[in-house]
Amino acid sequence: MTSVTLENVVKYYYPAVGAADSKPVKGLNNINLHIADGETVSVVGPSGCGKSTLLKVIAGLEYADEGRVLYNEHDVTRVTPQDRGVGMVFQDYALYPTKEGKNNMSYYFEVHHRSEAEKEQRLRETAELMGIGFEMLMGRQVDTLSGGEKQRVGIARCIVREPNVFLMDEPISNLDAKLRERTRTEIRRLLKKFGITTLYVTHDQQEAIFMGDRIAVMRAGSLEQIGTFDDLYYSPANLFVAALIGTPPISVLPVELMQTTLRAAGQAELPLPEQLAGGLPQGKLRLGMRPEGWQVAREPQPGSLAMNVTRIERLFTERAAFAHGDVAGSPVNALVPLDFPDVKILYLTPDWERAYFFAADAETALHLPGAPELF
Amino acid sequence: MSLFPTVGRKQVKVRISWWLVVAFLVFGVFMHLVPFYIMISTSIKPATEAMAMPPTLWPKEPTFAAWGLVLKLSDIAKSVLSQPLSKYFLNSMIMTFGTMILSIPVTSLAAYAVSKLIKGRASKNLFIFFIGTLMLPGIVSLIPSFLLTRNFPFPLPVAPNIPGTDVPFPTLRIWNTYWAVIIPAGFSASNFLLFKGYFDGIPDSIINAARVDGGSEFNIFRRIILPMSIPVYAVVSYFTFGATWDSYLWPLVVIQDSAIAPLTLAIRRISDAFGAAGTTNPLTAVGASAGISELVSQGLSWNGLMVLGLLQAIPTFIFFIIAREYLLKGVKIQGLK
Repeated sequence: MTSVTLENVVKYYYPAVGAADSKPVKGLNNINLHIADGETVSVVGPSGCGKSTLLKVIAGLEYADEGRVLYNEHDVTRVTPQDRGVGMVFQDYALYPTKEGKNNMSYYFEVHHRSEAEKEQRLRETAELMGIGFEMLMGRQVDTLSGGEKQRVGIARCIVREPNVFLMDEPISNLDAKLRERTRTEIRRLLKKFGITTLYVTHDQQEAIFMGDRIAVMRAGSLEQIGTFDDLYYSPANLFVAALIGTPPISVLPVELMQTTLRAAGQAELPLPEQLAGGLPQGKLRLGMRPEGWQVAREPQPGSLAMNVTRIERLFTERAAFAHGDVAGSPVNALVPLDFPDVKILYLTPDWERAYFFAADAETALHLPGAPELF
Repeated sequence: MSLFPTVGRKQVKVRISWWLVVAFLVFGVFMHLVPFYIMISTSIKPATEAMAMPPTLWPKEPTFAAWGLVLKLSDIAKSVLSQPLSKYFLNSMIMTFGTMILSIPVTSLAAYAVSKLIKGRASKNLFIFFIGTLMLPGIVSLIPSFLLTRNFPFPLPVAPNIPGTDVPFPTLRIWNTYWAVIIPAGFSASNFLLFKGYFDGIPDSIINAARVDGGSEFNIFRRIILPMSIPVYAVVSYFTFGATWDSYLWPLVVIQDSAIAPLTLAIRRISDAFGAAGTTNPLTAVGASAGISELVSQGLSWNGLMVLGLLQAIPTFIFFIIAREYLLKGVKIQGLK
């Protein structure tokens, strides 16, 4: 039963040795994060944003240069990974190649001088938890296992010792799509069952949404925002978060606000509700619209934007389709009905209830729609 | 079999070049085997036939007389060889295994540290420092190294006096002991390169997983890394064995006492004695010792030298076969992804 707290954690790293500028770069920049006991937080961000470093700092594989790492109220900033009692799952599985599945799992008991009986019992319990067919995997040499089987052993190796904290570093990104689907449901089931505090690192936002009770978005060593999916989707902290979360991504159009009229590219003029216009600065802005924020028509409407359609992607399970294209050069995606005919040009009217506004020259959010009240 | 594509083997040009390559390789193998054939066939010839001109391809009357005589060398010619041949064999063994026991752990742990434990600039600098020792030809450091074995830690013929007194600094002398061969070989830069290259290929995540599991750094090395690295240990063991077993120049410089000389030095001494006795060339016979004349009269000539050469070569060959087994056995690091 452990909560994890990071206080102003800074981690420097040095660019390639011998490089002209070998000034230290902040790999982690003042990270403050609290993971409650039993909570799963997924960390998402582009590659190289420091999410794996964050995981290593929590595991103790790297030490924070500044700030503190707390497990419950214990300061573990300088505690070695050997003494932290965390379980970690790696992208490349990191199984011990010369040991068979079972011995991979029992290395922990070996180095901690636990009794044979305890080891056997834990192995049995874990095998039961891992589900059907797992006993078979335990007897196999790891180089004979498939990717999915390897990761099952990797996860079992992690839970067999009842870790305080569970750390997962892109555990399923090496699997093929179908297996990924299955494994992620499996992992989610196990996490719910144990209620272990978990940090789940991924670059796939779908996976992050599926796994995490909360989602942390990182960029270039900084934590941009942490919150539930609704927070990130409807109230992003800035343009970066807005663009990262959501598939297809938010469409961003350069606009200019004059009184209560919004002038978009292509000389279209959109009348803005007075209440909304009053809260925005005059002049150049950026308008963000999610695909579902557009009202779509095949004929020109007053106050609509003409969109050149390049492709209509039909999603049969969603009973809908996405129209991909552009408005005066800016890429735009719009949600359309599944039976929408293939057309060259679409007319989009923004639903102002669902509009995002950002500053033209910065990523600052000026107006956000906020989560809709569903019930 | 990827030298030639499987497709199109029936084309005439491909066939001809295929057979040309085969012929070239067969020729190469043949050229390597000829010296061994001559050594073996000469070693079982009688003395006169071994010297015959033109030489015979296979002895008319194969005999193991030369083998018998070589093994009794020290009884017959005490002045040439003060110890029995087995003693020199043992000396070589002590030096070789001593070197291996010291050098392989030292070198591999250093390589592991540079590859996995030390990060960033320090690792790079250490690597360059270790590899730098390869840049200097061994022959350049021969004399300083010799002086070091006499007056460690001073590479001088005589240790300097402690300032203000007439007393020289205390020095450590390993010269003319087994240690003089073993200790300087304690770290091998070329083996370091082999080890480092191999350890670099082991993903960090495996070591991190073991750390999270609670293994101490040494336990991780012993229980996780070592079993994965059997192939590179096999290769390095073989190289170290061969290099030490066959080393001649360094023992010649640092070993003076015939009782601790390795087999290479003993064989050279016998060969010289034979030369002096005119066995290898009857025209240059000068001042042969009584023992050598005795040996010659009993029927020992080039055949005996070939026996000694084979005795020197056989252990390396046996060790190669053993190392090869492990080389094939341990290839399990692949297939992690």
